[in-house]
Amino acid sequence: MFPFKLDSLYGDRVALKKLKEICMNSLKDIKTIFPAFFAATLAGVLLEFFIPENIVYAVLGENPFLSIVLATILGIILPIPRYATYPIAFSLLQKGATIGTIFALISGEVIIGSPDRDIMEFKYFGWKSFIVRGTLCTIFVIVGSLIVEALL
Amino acid sequence: MYNICHRWKPHRGGPALIDEILYIATLRFLYSIPILTVAIFTAQMINSIIPKKKIEELLRKTQRNLLGASLVGLITPGPLAPYLPFLRVLRNSGLPLSAVVAFITSQTLVGPIRAFIEIDFFGAAFFACRVAISFLIAVSVGACYQLFGRHIGLAISPPKKDET
Repeated sequence: MFPFKLDSLYGDRVALKKLKEICMNSLKDIKTIFPAFFAATLAGVLLEFFIPENIVYAVLGENPFLSIVLATILGIILPIPRYATYPIAFSLLQKGATIGTIFALISGEVIIGSPDRDIMEFKYFGWKSFIVRGTLCTIFVIVGSLIVEALL
Repeated sequence: MYNICHRWKPHRGGPALIDEILYIATLRFLYSIPILTVAIFTAQMINSIIPKKKIEELLRKTQRNLLGASLVGLITPGPLAPYLPFLRVLRNSGLPLSAVVAFITSQTLVGPIRAFIEIDFFGAAFFACRVAISFLIAVSVGACYQLFGRHIGLAISPPKKDET
């Protein structure tokens, strides 16, 4: 009587619903990520135009150890939105920063995340755990960046 | 692809310079849009393929295994905040703090969206290095918790039933 199986129709509906959900969630992400990414791209271009190469090299390229420590701390304290570090890091790399410094900046950015995440972690696992994790991550990110500096 | 215009230098001042800056920024952003869109869509697909329950199951299976918790963290997509409530539940039901911390660390350091952007900007070698080192960082942080946690007053073992 039916030219198709009811099972497959139900399966198709479920798949369509899932696809719609994926598309809606992607759009939500696009709404938050795109503006931040454009702002970061603009910041990267401004950095390329107005900050001389020799200054970037002196601060983030000459002494790998100091530049990695500085980049990690900058990554932690600067309120850069998620994924917006990349255009800025790329501009710094073009200007003479080392690859280890870029690794430190990108990894340092995620140690302390958004305020909501940090408050939740703080509340669920205690302030001591939060501080110890942050400190250990900072130390290991510095060590990891030095390894990357030696490898790449 | 993203390298476009990176060697351009300003030769004029005033409005012309602003135009030039905006033009280059817009051009670079437009070139980044396809990879960003693909990255976001893929992350959402992974998110729907590996639901939170599956991650919870995997974490339960890892028990005290730091390597397992770090690996589960590496493959977990999206921001960390939605996973924190069930991490708390898992902790109260027996998962040690060291495994929780290893998961949090690896989950925040790497993700599917980051994979696409990083490969586009800095190449596959850089991304491979970052994944490997992030995994080692997560395991090391967890191991430090296991080894020294008690000495600095951290509640490493799960709380007793009446405490939860």
